[in-house]
Amino acid sequence: MKDFQSKLCMLLLEEYFGNIVQCIGNSLLHSRKTLDVIRLHTNLPLIKVKEGLCVLIKYGFVTYQQDEKGSVHYVLHCEKIIMLLRYPRYMLFAKTYCRDEGEIMLEEVLKHGYITASEVIIKTYKRLEETPSKCAEQLSVANLKNTFELLVKNQFLMHSISFNTMKENIEKPEYNLPHLNMTAISNILQGQNADPGDNKLYWKVNFDRFTQDFRDKIMVSAMTQRFDINAGELMRQLINLMYLRTAPWTATSNPIPYTEIKEEVKKLTFLELEQYLDQYLRLIEEDSSQFIKRVGDSGGGQYSVNMKNAFKQLVWATIESIVAERFGSKAARIFRLVRIEKNVNLDQIQQLAMIPAKEAKCLTYILAQENFIQMQEIKKAGTLAAPTKGPFHFYIDLTKIVQMEIEHCCQALYNIIKRRDHELSNNKRMIEKQLRVQILSSNMKEHGATEQQLADIAEMMTPSETQQLEKAQNAIKKLNVTELQIDETLFLLTIYLPYH
Amino acid sequence: MEAEGSGLQERNVNTNLDGLETIEQKIIALAQARPNKGISDKDLAIEIPDLRPDQRAQIINKLLKQECFELYNNKQTGVLSYRLRDPTKIVKGADNEEKVVYKIIEEAGNKGIWTRDIRFKSNLMHTQLKKILKSLETKKFIKVVKSVAASKKKVYMLYNLEPDESITGGAWYQDQDFETEFVDVLNQQCYRFLEQKKEKTKNCNIGPVAARNMTFASSKDVWKFISDLGISKVKLSVTNIEMILNTLVYDGKVERILAGDGSNLYRAIEPLVISPGLIRTPCGLCPVRKHCFDDGPVTPIKCQYIREWLD
Ligand code: SF4
Repeated sequence: MKDFQSKLCMLLLEEYFGNIVQCIGNSLLHSRKTLDVIRLHTNLPLIKVKEGLCVLIKYGFVTYQQDEKGSVHYVLHCEKIIMLLRYPRYMLFAKTYCRDEGEIMLEEVLKHGYITASEVIIKTYKRLEETPSKCAEQLSVANLKNTFELLVKNQFLMHSISFNTMKENIEKPEYNLPHLNMTAISNILQGQNADPGDNKLYWKVNFDRFTQDFRDKIMVSAMTQRFDINAGELMRQLINLMYLRTAPWTATSNPIPYTEIKEEVKKLTFLELEQYLDQYLRLIEEDSSQFIKRVGDSGGGQYSVNMKNAFKQLVWATIESIVAERFGSKAARIFRLVRIEKNVNLDQIQQLAMIPAKEAKCLTYILAQENFIQMQEIKKAGTLAAPTKGPFHFYIDLTKIVQMEIEHCCQALYNIIKRRDHELSNNKRMIEKQLRVQILSSNMKEHGATEQQLADIAEMMTPSETQQLEKAQNAIKKLNVTELQIDETLFLLTIYLPYH
Repeated sequence: MEAEGSGLQERNVNTNLDGLETIEQKIIALAQARPNKGISDKDLAIEIPDLRPDQRAQIINKLLKQECFELYNNKQTGVLSYRLRDPTKIVKGADNEEKVVYKIIEEAGNKGIWTRDIRFKSNLMHTQLKKILKSLETKKFIKVVKSVAASKKKVYMLYNLEPDESITGGAWYQDQDFETEFVDVLNQQCYRFLEQKKEKTKNCNIGPVAARNMTFASSKDVWKFISDLGISKVKLSVTNIEMILNTLVYDGKVERILAGDGSNLYRAIEPLVISPGLIRTPCGLCPVRKHCFDDGPVTPIKCQYIREWLD
């Protein structure tokens, strides 16, 4: 069932970390293993296995556990590997909150897995020095320190304490800031030896925070899509208020009083929402999507955000679109019908859907064959296993479909990445040539080359080469965009599972 | 739209052709009401005043020829009258078996009865029964009607009966064929009505709840709209329209709620999710995905679908 999920993970490991790491990941795919077993399984020298494991542990893809006898087992976490696909989105997100400097810092943390604050600041400083245009404020250690603190304040980063699987789950995230010795950092930047004061206090990316935010965004845009931007904004405020009183992954939030919602909305510049707040609450609450629920009447009303139900509805909507797009609108009608009416037989489907008998039968069987609906034979009570096939009932097993479509997303991602790699390697020569021409041309320019000389250099790329390169670059761009789009669907489907 | 238009026109023509047959049914019904006395020409002129005498003669002659009616002299009034022939008495050469079969079919009423069930009830052999049925059919005592429930299933009923809706399928069927086009047009028009209702509430600044409430329409409202459009020559009932509206609910375009008075209200809604990323890619919709592997007959690198999509 999880074939493509595994294949995708292995492909990602190979792309980012090379063969050896992939090999070790592969041996941990189906079960946890001790160091010795990994070595035997992979046939790699011990030192390589150790190095590879180090990499995997550093990025949080592998954790370890100790059993009663004291031997250490390594465990692979595929869902974390898949997050590699989202790194660009994480960085973009950090940028919107903490500017370009924040983006670069987050990238550094992602690149290293775990790192001290002083190191991040130093690395970011050096990178910004090379490309000063990326720096919004004046480049200074103090400004970078502020940016780092902003990242922590937003909980994008947290302490990295242990890679032990057992401990990881009980630990609370820590965000205490270290006391940094600013002069020492400046000195290090000038090539001197100094102690920045945060030795051994490591930071890592708080992936959960990003995951929550993407989750919340989906809900906000769903409400915007269903009603309007006011409803979307209200949803955002409700979720923010939820965080104040409820653990982020709880299925339903603790009651949020109306007065507090009103306070929050007043701070915004959504006049219409402020004017019609009661009505917007009613609108969302009464809608069949049931993202929020009115749970009490005291103090003007108490509302609870129902995450579990929201994702159920979102997943239904997603699957329904997939069915419509793959099998046509009539098939989607049948699919929704089976969803709404629960257990139905073929006659009922045909009558209610108002589709000709033959077509209805055909579409129903296609859906059943593709596992979007399930078939069940109705056994009459009292009769023994009859040789003839009895009438069938149809129903939907949503969790099964979600798992199936997660696989589908993984396969699509796998294929798209494979194809992109192919496009890249196919045009490698051309891409490299263009790069050389560019470097040459800018060098010549600096040395005061004439127009004629520059034009000659530009002509080193023939028109047909330029054309082919352009085509390849467009293709690669399109494949990159597609990768992100598929991941959006994958993400939504993945969020559903822990809630149900 | 053209194809749809012609489909509707056909219905129209058919209904007009039905005119004389409807009158025929009416005359038969009148005769049934008076099994003993029968009906005279005079009775007919009173009951169906718009019927021209030549048309009347035409129908009566037809019925006499079909041996459905018989001519008889009413002793009390001394007027020549028509009455329904009672096959159990009159049929020449009608043997007991024929009578038994006729009775069984008669009991089935306008829902008809299946050959198999006649066989069970009459205890007749298959071939013998077939012969009897053929004979009754040629004499126009009974007729065969195809049921919409199952295309191969034929049911028998008395010749002069109008088949039940469960057999003909009602408004959605024409000669046992489900009228997909007609249903689709109605589905689109009902949605258009609800959508327009929703459009009207935009920019009217009355607050979101009031605006939402204005988008609701009862099935009766929709029924009226459809009737006024005149796209259906068949008379549709509110229940018919509710069936159509339900298909819109199943299409995910419309939501149905129960109003306080127990009636259904409908309104057009927006989906929560529009076109998920997966289905915007070739692999999301690929028909050969199950055979697509790195070393299979189709591979992501050689894939035609992706190539076309990239171009
Ligand atoms: S790569 Fe091509 S053949 Fe393979 S699943 Fe995608 S679209 Fe289908």
